[in-house]
Amino acid sequence: MSGRAERALLVADDLRKSFGATPALDGASMEVDAGEVVAVMGPSGSGKSTLLHCLAGIVPPDSGRVCYDGREVSRMGDAERSALRRSQFGFVFQFGQLVPELTCLENVALPLRLERTRRRVAERRAAEWLERLEVGDVAAKRPGEVSGGQGQRVAVARALVTAPKVIFADEPTGALDSRGGERVMRLLTAAARETRAAVVLVTHEARVAAYSDREVVVRDGRTRDLARAAS
Amino acid sequence: MRGLTDLLMGARLAFAGGRDGWTRTVLTAIGVGIGVAMLLLAAAVPAALDARTARGDARDPRGGQELAAGPATLLVAGADTEFRGVPVRGVVLRPEGLRAPVPPGLAALPRAGEVAVSPALRDVLESGDGPLFAPRLGGARVVGTIADEGLAGPRELAFYLGSDTLSGERAKRVDGFGTSVPSEGFGPVLMLLVVIIFVVLLLPIAVFLGAAVRFGGERRDRRMAAFRLVGADRRTTRRIAAGEAAAAALLGVAVGGVLFALGRQLVPLVTLWDLSVFAADVRPGRTAVLVITLAVPALAVVVSMVALRGVVFEPLGVVRRATGARRRLWWRLILPLLGLALLFPLFGNVRTATADSRYQVAAGAVLLLIGAVTLLPWLIDLVVRRMRGGAVPWQLAVRRLQVDSATSARLVNGIAVAVAGTIGLQMLFAGVQNEYRHDTGADPGRARAYVHVPPAGGIDAVARLAATPGVTRASGTLQADATPAGTPDRIVEVYIGDCAALAELAYVDGCGDGDVFVSNEEVAVGDRLSFGAQGPQWTVPVAARRVQVRLDPVGWTRRGVLATPAALDAGRLGPLTAGVYVRTDSTDPDAIERVRNAAAAVTPLAYVSEVSETEEARRFTNIRRGLYIGAVVTLLLVGASLLVGVLEQLRERRRLLAMLVAVGTRRGTLAWSVVWQTVVPVLLGLVLAVGFGLALGAALLRMVSVTISVSWDVVGLSVALAAAVMAAVTLLSLPPLWRLMRPDGLRTE
Repeated sequence: MSGRAERALLVADDLRKSFGATPALDGASMEVDAGEVVAVMGPSGSGKSTLLHCLAGIVPPDSGRVCYDGREVSRMGDAERSALRRSQFGFVFQFGQLVPELTCLENVALPLRLERTRRRVAERRAAEWLERLEVGDVAAKRPGEVSGGQGQRVAVARALVTAPKVIFADEPTGALDSRGGERVMRLLTAAARETRAAVVLVTHEARVAAYSDREVVVRDGRTRDLARAAS
Repeated sequence: MRGLTDLLMGARLAFAGGRDGWTRTVLTAIGVGIGVAMLLLAAAVPAALDARTARGDARDPRGGQELAAGPATLLVAGADTEFRGVPVRGVVLRPEGLRAPVPPGLAALPRAGEVAVSPALRDVLESGDGPLFAPRLGGARVVGTIADEGLAGPRELAFYLGSDTLSGERAKRVDGFGTSVPSEGFGPVLMLLVVIIFVVLLLPIAVFLGAAVRFGGERRDRRMAAFRLVGADRRTTRRIAAGEAAAAALLGVAVGGVLFALGRQLVPLVTLWDLSVFAADVRPGRTAVLVITLAVPALAVVVSMVALRGVVFEPLGVVRRATGARRRLWWRLILPLLGLALLFPLFGNVRTATADSRYQVAAGAVLLLIGAVTLLPWLIDLVVRRMRGGAVPWQLAVRRLQVDSATSARLVNGIAVAVAGTIGLQMLFAGVQNEYRHDTGADPGRARAYVHVPPAGGIDAVARLAATPGVTRASGTLQADATPAGTPDRIVEVYIGDCAALAELAYVDGCGDGDVFVSNEEVAVGDRLSFGAQGPQWTVPVAARRVQVRLDPVGWTRRGVLATPAALDAGRLGPLTAGVYVRTDSTDPDAIERVRNAAAAVTPLAYVSEVSETEEARRFTNIRRGLYIGAVVTLLLVGASLLVGVLEQLRERRRLLAMLVAVGTRRGTLAWSVVWQTVVPVLLGLVLAVGFGLALGAALLRMVSVTISVSWDVVGLSVALAAAVMAAVTLLSLPPLWRLMRPDGLRTE
C-alpha cells in the first residue's frame, strides 16, 4: 500500500465483486482523503454504484479490502458495518429515498434518532439543516408533497445531520433538471467542505463531477485515477 | 374492438415486467387461489354430505319381522364399538341360504370365524395397537377388505363378522341392503345455526379475496399513471387496469382449481372429529364452479376500479394517493345497520316462522359482520391520527398507518370478521345447547362404563369383566322379564345379583344373600311370576322387603324385583341378559378397551357404553363438529392469506427497507416497526370484532327467544386464537423481512 493510501481516510484495494456470472468490479482501487470530494465516473453498468456500495460497507466485496480510518471494513460483521454507516457515513441516493410516511423534518431527524438522540434534540438539529439547505418551509410536509429538487435537498440534509466523516452520493442529481441539480450540488459540496466531510460522488455527468476535487473513472469494473481538478 | 385490445394489453401487463412483475402476479394468484380453493371446498360440502348419506343408506339392512327365513335371507346384528374414542361400526352376519344378500363393499359374505374389515381398521390391526383391538373380533381371520362403497368415509373403522350362531331373536332378518330414510330435517334453530356457520366461515374468505386482488396495487397504479402520461384517456386506462386485474385473478382461479384438485387428493388422509371424506365425494356443483370462476375476476375488476378512483396522476410519473379527506363514518354504519334491520323482523319469530328466512338471515348476518370491515379503516384513522412521538419503530409504524390505514386494515379484515362471526355463533350455540343436551343423571364416579350383555353368556359376564386387567370393580345383575300370574300383558323386571350389585339399583340396607327386595309398587309379596310363556315360575317370597329405587350409575331407574342368587337361582331361568357396571383404574387409559374386549369375548353383540353425565342430540353434535372442522380450515386459510398479504406489503417496500438498512438502521428497529404496524390494526380489529360479534350473537339469541348472555371465556378464547394466528404470521414474516432488508437490495437503483 502506498504512503498516500496509508494517510487516506477511506481506501479500496483491488476490489472484486460479481453478481452471479456478471463481474461488477474487477480489481478496483481508490483512496479518499478526509474532506476531499471525489467523483466516481463511468458509463452505465461500469460498476461505479457497486464500488460505492463496497466502499460504504453496504455490500461486502468478494475479494480485496476496504479500510476506513485504519479499520478494515470488509472484515467487519454486519452489525459493526451498520453502526459505522449510522455514525460515520451519510448517504444521498438518486431518488432521495426518503421514508414516504415521515415528514421531511422526521426524515432528516431519523439518523440521529437511530443513534438514540432524543427526539426534541434530533428534530431541532434537523430543522437547522433544513434551513441551511433552504428547505425549511417543507419541514412539516411529507416527501410526496414536495418537488424532486426539494426532496433531494432534504435527503442531503439527512445525510449531513449526523456530521458524518464521509458522504456517499449515488447520482444525487439524476432525477433533477440542470438548475435543480446544480443547486443540490452546490449546497452538498459547500456543506461538506464546511464540516470537513469527504464526499464520494457517483455520477456520469461531467457538470456534476466538476464539483469534485478529483475524478476516478470506472470502466469494466476497473478504476483509473485522473488528475486532481484545479480547485 | 378497441376495448378488447385494451383489456388484452392489461392482461399482458400482468405477466410482463420481468421477475418483479411475475412475483407480483404469482402472489396475487396464490392469494386468490387459496380463497378460490376454499370456496370450491365449501361448494363441495353438500355433495360430500349427500354421497356420505347415500352410502349410509345403501348399506342399511332392509327387512324386518315379516320376513321368513329363506335361501335369500340374512341375519344381521349390530356390534358397534369404539376404539380409543373412535367409533367402530361392527356388523355380525349369518346367511340363512345360498342367495343371502351381500352388503355393499363386500365381494362375499364372511363365513363363521372370518371377518372383513375396512382399510382403516386393517391399519389398526396391523399397527402396534392391533393386539388391543383384535380380541374384539373373537379370533376371526381377516379374509377381505370392505370397498369404498361400503364405507361412510375412507378412515372409517368398520368390520363385518361372520357367525354361525346368530339367532333370529337377537338379529334382524333382511333380504337386501339399501333404505331411503327421509331426512328428519334440521328444524328452525339448527337451520339458523347452519346458515350462520356458512356465513361465518365463508365471509372471511370473501373478504380476503377482496384484499388479494389488490396485491401489487400500488405498482399497478403507477403503471396506470404512466399510461395516462403518454396520452391514454381515463376510459382506456381503466380498461387496461381491468384487464390486468382480471388476468391475475383468472390465474388465481386456475391456481385455486389446482390447489383444490391437489387438496382433494389429501382429503382422505385427514380425519377431523371422526369424520373422513373420500376424494371422489368432494365435488363442487357445476353452477357453483361457474359462479366462482366468473365472480372472482369480476370482483378483481370492481375492486381495482374502486381503488383507481383514489389515484391522481401528475407530471414526471409521480402518483399521489388522493388522501387528506377524513374518513366518513356515516356510510360505514349503513351496512351493519341494514344488516340489523334485516334481522330485526325475525326477533322472536324464527321458531314459528313458516316462510323460509334463510336468505334473510344470511344477508343480515353478512351485512352486520361487514360492519367490522367498513369501520376498521375509520377506527384506525381515528386512533392513530393524533399519535406523536415514541421510539423510532413506533414512529415508523404509526406514520405508515396515518398515511395509509386501508392497506393494513385490509390485512386484518379477514381475521376480524372471522372472530366476530365466531363470537356471535358461539353465543348462539351456548344459548340453545341446553335444548339439545340433557343431563343423563349418570354418575361417572360410580361406574366408568355400562356393559349390556344379551342372553347367552350373561352369567359369565360379571366374572369375566371383573377379572379384566385395569378393572377395579365390576358389579352386575342378570335381568329377566316376567309376567305376574293373571296379568299376561304386564311385564315385571327381575334383577338377580349380589347385594353390592343390587345396591346400585335400590337402597337395600342390611342386604344378605337369600334376601329379596321389591322396588316396583305394582308387585306384591306372594305374586307368582312366570318367565316366558312355558318357562319356569317363581313366587315373590313373603319375606321380600319393599325398598326405594335408586338411580343406577347410568342414570336409569330400574324398578322391579331384586333378588340375591340364594333367593332365586338364575341358572334355572335360561339365558338371561346381563347389565354390568364397571369401574376402571383411572391411570390406565387402555382399561376401557380391555373391558370392550372382555365383553366381546362373552358375545360380539355385547354393548359397552361409557358413562357420561350429559348427552347431546346427534344433529346438534354433528353441526358443532362441522363448525369446528370449518373453523380449523378457515383459521388456517386466514393465517396463510395473512402471511401472503404481509409478504406482499413487505415486498412493495423492499427498496425502502434496503435503503434504511444501508444508512445504518438496525434490523431490529425495522422488525419492530413491522410488528407495531401489524399489532395496532390487529388490536383495533379485535376490538371491533368483539363488538360486532356480541351484536350478532345478541341478535341471533333474540331471534330464537333466548335470554342474551355472554360467555367471556369464549370471547377471550376467540380473541386469543386470532392474536395467536397474527403472532405466528408476524414471526413467519420475519425471516423474509430479514432477507428483504439486505442492503444490496439497493443494487437495482
